[in-house]
Amino acid sequence: MSLPTSVIAGGASAHERDAHGEPAEAARAGVNISGLRRGHGVRAFFGALGVAQWIAVGFLLLLLVAALLPSLLAPGDPLAIDPGDAFRAPGWGHPFGTDESGRDVYTRVVHGTAPSLVIGVSATTIGILLALVFGTAAALGGRVVDFGVSRFLEVLFAFPGLLLALLVITVYGPGIVTSTIAVGLATAPGYARIIRSQTRAVASSAYVEAAVVLGKSRGRILARHILPNAVAPVFVLVTLGVGQAIVWAAALSYLGLGAEPPAAEWGAMLFAGKNYVTTAWWMTFFPGLAIVLSAAATTVLGRALQRRSLR
Amino acid sequence: MRWLLLRLGGAVFVLWAAATLTFFGLRLIPGDPAQAILGGPGSQASAEALAQVRAEYGLDQPLFTQYLTQLGRLVTGDLGTSYSLRTPVVEVIGSQIGGTLLLAALALIVAWAIALGLALWSTRGGRIAAGVGSALEIVAAAVPHFWLATVLVLVFSTTLRWFPAVSTAGPEGLVLPVLTLALPLAGFLGQVMRESVLDALDAPFTLSARARGEGEGGVRWRHVLRHGSLPGIALSGWAFGWLISGAVVVETIFARPGLGRTLLNAVQLRDVPLVVGMVLVVALGYVVMTVATDAATRVADPRMRAS
Amino acid sequence: MSRRTITLLAVAAASALLLAGCAPAAGPATSAPAAGGTLTYATGFGEPDCLDPHNGGNMPQALVGTNFLESLFSQDADGAIVPWLATAGTPSADGLTWDITLRDDVSFSDGTPFDAAAVKANIEQIQDPATASSTGILALGKVQSVEVVDPTTARFHLSEPDSALLESLAQTWLAMESPAGLARGLEANCEAPIGTGPFIVDSWTKQDSITLVRNENYNSAPAGAAHEGPAYLDTIVWRFIPDSATRFAALQSGQVDVIDEMQPDNVVAADSSDQFDVLTGALPGASIRLELNSGFAPFDDERVRKAFVHSADVNPGIQSLFFGTAERSYSVLSSSTPYGASFPDDFTIDTDLANQLLDEAGWTGRDSEGYRTKDGQRLVVDFPVSTNQSIPAEQSLFEQIQATTKEVGFDVELHPLDLSSWYSALGSWDFGVTSAIYTKNSPDVLRILYHSSNIVPAPSGYHANNAHVSIPELDSLLTEAGETTDDAQRASLYEQAQKILSDGAYVLPLYDHLQKIGYSTKVHGLSLLPTLQIPYFGDVWVQQ
Repeated sequence: MSLPTSVIAGGASAHERDAHGEPAEAARAGVNISGLRRGHGVRAFFGALGVAQWIAVGFLLLLLVAALLPSLLAPGDPLAIDPGDAFRAPGWGHPFGTDESGRDVYTRVVHGTAPSLVIGVSATTIGILLALVFGTAAALGGRVVDFGVSRFLEVLFAFPGLLLALLVITVYGPGIVTSTIAVGLATAPGYARIIRSQTRAVASSAYVEAAVVLGKSRGRILARHILPNAVAPVFVLVTLGVGQAIVWAAALSYLGLGAEPPAAEWGAMLFAGKNYVTTAWWMTFFPGLAIVLSAAATTVLGRALQRRSLR
Repeated sequence: MRWLLLRLGGAVFVLWAAATLTFFGLRLIPGDPAQAILGGPGSQASAEALAQVRAEYGLDQPLFTQYLTQLGRLVTGDLGTSYSLRTPVVEVIGSQIGGTLLLAALALIVAWAIALGLALWSTRGGRIAAGVGSALEIVAAAVPHFWLATVLVLVFSTTLRWFPAVSTAGPEGLVLPVLTLALPLAGFLGQVMRESVLDALDAPFTLSARARGEGEGGVRWRHVLRHGSLPGIALSGWAFGWLISGAVVVETIFARPGLGRTLLNAVQLRDVPLVVGMVLVVALGYVVMTVATDAATRVADPRMRAS
Repeated sequence: MSRRTITLLAVAAASALLLAGCAPAAGPATSAPAAGGTLTYATGFGEPDCLDPHNGGNMPQALVGTNFLESLFSQDADGAIVPWLATAGTPSADGLTWDITLRDDVSFSDGTPFDAAAVKANIEQIQDPATASSTGILALGKVQSVEVVDPTTARFHLSEPDSALLESLAQTWLAMESPAGLARGLEANCEAPIGTGPFIVDSWTKQDSITLVRNENYNSAPAGAAHEGPAYLDTIVWRFIPDSATRFAALQSGQVDVIDEMQPDNVVAADSSDQFDVLTGALPGASIRLELNSGFAPFDDERVRKAFVHSADVNPGIQSLFFGTAERSYSVLSSSTPYGASFPDDFTIDTDLANQLLDEAGWTGRDSEGYRTKDGQRLVVDFPVSTNQSIPAEQSLFEQIQATTKEVGFDVELHPLDLSSWYSALGSWDFGVTSAIYTKNSPDVLRILYHSSNIVPAPSGYHANNAHVSIPELDSLLTEAGETTDDAQRASLYEQAQKILSDGAYVLPLYDHLQKIGYSTKVHGLSLLPTLQIPYFGDVWVQQ
């Protein structure tokens, strides 16, 4: 469960080591981030998009529509059952087929966008927000705070993520909200480590030193210089984490602890379809495709954003 | 020396906190440990039997007293006796840990190999290779274990009959579980490694190596690969915890004995000593892995050796 | 010999013949049984904590235990009691003592002779709190002591008459174990109980498998068995494979020979293949059913319960989800348990009636989502679902119940829970409706499930009467039925009791709890022992 952020943390800790290794590289890390700060601007960003990126943007817009106005794309009721029409293969009338209760898979995939993205985005957001508090506190709060927070994060990391999720869910009962919180908690330590290292790198960078020399107030430096620059790369990495959060919520479903039925949530659909993978492949294929494409689209855009900011 | 002491203190703190969190976490959720001892939830154990068990295991003491008692035992290295299996926790873990470690280690190696191979190949082969490699990584990373396992069994066991569907004594039973754990991990590792391989290809040290007239193969092998593997090494510590989580699902599906499956059962049965014991072992494993990866990073990254 | 004993034995003989006629359920007998070989069985019921079924007492223990332990009595396909290790059971006129006569030619696999002293030792071990029995001790609730009259006669002294005594003694949870084995203490006995069965526990690798080897001195085959004497198989490897898809894949790839707990679509696939066959049997006890918690709102109002029952359209779902492998039941009792009574008319689908009943009950408002309300409160029905007990197809059926009852304004909220949490929710009465399994080889299961005294929780918090049924008339019917041994009277009492449950809409029966065993056609001679529908391997041989 901790992997999505571990990946990110791993990447970042390599950078961190770069930063500690050579002062010149530390400066580069600062510049990496300040690439955004210098403001290539939204227009410049979109101007540099390739075909893949444009497809990704298009798909994300489609997701946005599906999440906000699902009935526009699929006017049917995602919960309407029709047992007589169960296990229908994709075809006319049911482009993605029907599930074990005769519900339309296409309608469910479309209506499942919102809850799935909510899980993905809010789990990641919870992780980031917690990480922001811990990470900046660790980086700027002096040795004692740093030591305490770092050990605390290590404890969370040492915990098997799934166990953490199991405990949260058995205390508060299964459901989308608890799954989200569980996944968010499990991912927080990873993000916190990145923020800590980025904040440190930024805090020791030339322009912050300049601001200190210029006698700017501590709060002002934190708000104007450190935070925005420490958070920017994290924002990029979030796009990689969203898809992962959805997948982990699906794993919770496998253990019987995910979204409550009959919610049309992609992970839960994947789980329900797993039992019929030999006879009704479409029950897992389409929600699975939705997860993969969402993850792919956010990753492609996240990469583009990262490349931009590195330049 | 000071570094070592701090490190050790930190490790002890991590172990203590993990045990404490688990103990209170498990005791706060619904479910009665006395029932776990008496044949699982829903048992219709008699009042006498329950009272006897509560007294025997100290479950009639205040929660904090129970906590101190258990902590005291842990300090002396006694992990206690499992409620549901009625065997010493050390014995349970001892008999299960081998399978899980083997599974996790193999999965890590396979994931590494796939990720590194993919990263090297796709950064060399131009735009199309880059696109394909990237797509493979994204798909692999976005596939849940339980689904991947089902599909692998369907293809390689039911249809092709190449590998058994459930664990066997021989190595052939390991193939599908290892692949199930390794493929998503390879997706993650690949995504990260590609970035650093790309970085390394543009880095001054690569340029200077080329300028010195080293062949492309040598450059890639000596410099790019080394740099590209850095985040992967740093990641392996965390991957350990993640593999344990993944093992819960994989061991259940492939009916492999192991820590993951035991952990899930223990949580569901509210088997406090067993869960605490396993969390301690996993935490210890994590601490060891972190130290090991730090050491490995020092070997792979010359800058770290200097500092 | 009393009249009752005679009829009992007559029935036994008749049913033994009957069973012998239909026992070879596996494939055509192509050749004579061949001795030797190993059979691998994969169970989805889970791994026992202890192999002695006297401790605790659940299905996983009974399944594996039947291979090495045997009971005093057995049952035929109609649920009638037949002899096994005992030859007869005769009650006294007041029903307070039972004389159980025993076979004199049986020994446990450690050489200890099976006799009345062994019976006494077993009953006392089950009743000892240190054994921590839950199923066995409950079944012996009315047994005060066992007296050794002579080596082949054990006299049971009861506190009150118990018409279900012999049925209780037929369960594997009260099977006979060697007194020498029991004397080793619970821990050793958990590892390898010693019985009289066709196999002996050889080794148990936790979380992996149990290995059973043939008992060369076996001579106590149950009624209906195809042959007497030692089993054909050398070894049974008993594996634990929790994932149903993996279990079926393992059968398909030939890694295992027999599996249980099959998913409905796998049953169909195996049935249509010429490499595999399926053996099904309805587990005795209660059918799979929804219990409406009549103790608390909203189901404390009979009209609301009836509205639910008349709007929960399950027949189409049972058809499609179970692919014709399950049949709708209108009885609280399983079809394999005697005295079941069906009342289909009480369970018709009638949305107009349901709407009318809800209007009458005061649930007249409707909120923005279409759910009914009363005094601003929504008509919520919490439905905790045990993910351990309810198979996926069943959970899908619950979703369909949720969808069809929504049409008349119920807001059924499904909560999938792990076993401990699920029991907690039930224990605190924190639910509107739930589905709980209860396996027992006697109609006396009705008393356990619906007698008001079982609303009071056991010390562990468990209560069997989940529907919170508390009707004095029903209580006295069930108590009387539990004490009488007259068949006609029992039938009448149990029918009246079931009519009360049906009239009051306390229960919505769905279908029988099916034992679904899939096996390779290389496996011959497999049958289910009717008592608990457990596979019997004493007659099984594997084609080489």
